[in-house]
Amino acid sequence: MENKKNMKVLIAKPGLDGHDRGAKVVAQALKEAGMEVVYSGLHRTIDQIVNIAVQEDVNVIGLSIMTGAHIPITQKLFQKIKEKGIGDKIVFVGGVIPSRDVPKLKELGVVGVFPGGTPLAETIQFLQSISKKG
Amino acid sequence: MELVDKVLRGDEGSAARLISMIEEGRDEGYEAISLLFPYTGKAHVIGVTGAPGAGKSTIVDKLAISFGRQGGKVGIIAVDPTSAKGSGAFLGDRLRMRNAEKLEGVFIRSMAHRGFPGGIAKATLGAAYVLEGLGKDVILIESVGSGQTEIQISMICDSVVTVLTPDYGDEIQLMKAGLLEIGDIVVMNKTDRPGAVEAAKDIEFYLMSHKKQHWQIPVLTVEAIQGKGVEDLIAALKLHRTYTVENSQGSSKKKENIKRLVLAIFKEEFWGETLKKIQDKAMFDDIFQQLQNSTIDPYKAVRMVMDLALPTE
Repeated sequence: MENKKNMKVLIAKPGLDGHDRGAKVVAQALKEAGMEVVYSGLHRTIDQIVNIAVQEDVNVIGLSIMTGAHIPITQKLFQKIKEKGIGDKIVFVGGVIPSRDVPKLKELGVVGVFPGGTPLAETIQFLQSISKKG
Repeated sequence: MELVDKVLRGDEGSAARLISMIEEGRDEGYEAISLLFPYTGKAHVIGVTGAPGAGKSTIVDKLAISFGRQGGKVGIIAVDPTSAKGSGAFLGDRLRMRNAEKLEGVFIRSMAHRGFPGGIAKATLGAAYVLEGLGKDVILIESVGSGQTEIQISMICDSVVTVLTPDYGDEIQLMKAGLLEIGDIVVMNKTDRPGAVEAAKDIEFYLMSHKKQHWQIPVLTVEAIQGKGVEDLIAALKLHRTYTVENSQGSSKKKENIKRLVLAIFKEEFWGETLKKIQDKAMFDDIFQQLQNSTIDPYKAVRMVMDLALPTE
């Protein structure tokens, strides 16, 4: 049995959005790539998501958003993680994200944006490259 | 140590970080445990075990709420399996603990078992100490749920609840070594299903006729999703807690258990360290080469690896 640091990722579904097929597919793919994945379940508030991130001590938070409210949700997440003293978490966003909003999300602090249709390998590679840096 | 002070003052973030350190096997983590250890031993540590889908997470959720309402400070450790094909895990237990999660002061930590045998992770006991240091007085541990071999959970818990459903099988399943040997309380869950009452009666009869200790294992009928029977379960848990403290058979079992747990962790650590020492030796590869060419049999290979690891003087 190994004693080692393993990447731990929270896949979270904030707000009213009831579609989690994509989030589950990503969670499964990250698991198969060797990461420990906590799945939040549907309809979580930002406060709940941040609490989960604190208690689980994840390295990465992935938000899956299909409602079009990705900018205000992401804004609120960054505000809350800073308040809770976990502003160092890596945040990525997936879901229905128009390309025109990507610069705005990155400006907020999102490290990677992976809209629906992104090959899973791309998301995995992105997270693995981050863990090497960290 | 600053981290330990912060945990003792109730800082959740520090507790979470410390649990990760123990999972990673870092010296700092183990030093922190030594500092926390004098503050532990008073919490009621409750294990919940049973097959996948039996309703363990839902029962943990309901227990947390009831204990919380009675003024208990609840910590939860939910263990899920690490993939046999790698280091990944899908930790999905807290999904079913949303009601408990909403309760002020409930701390939930998911944990991948990382190959440790017996239904828990190597870091689970350490995490329980951390949660007690954080001020929790009821700690609920949900096992991996792989069935009959979850003996390790009983080594770290004061009370173990075995969750069964009406389709558990028959008397032959009960006679097999395993599940009923580790539980202090049996819960027949999903009692809205046909045959549940009869199944609970069968198990009760079996347990009565095979009683080996002073404690008579009760069989409770529960419909966890509706919260039915949960108060009876809490009452049974409190009764069992009193028994383990007051009855000599109960307290000596605990002393024996902690020794067995240390030996189990030692076995894992020893294996890891030994493998590190021998796997780069040329002879190691050579043994497996011979095995794969069928020039030696598997048991011969094991004896050769043993000689490599522990050469006789």
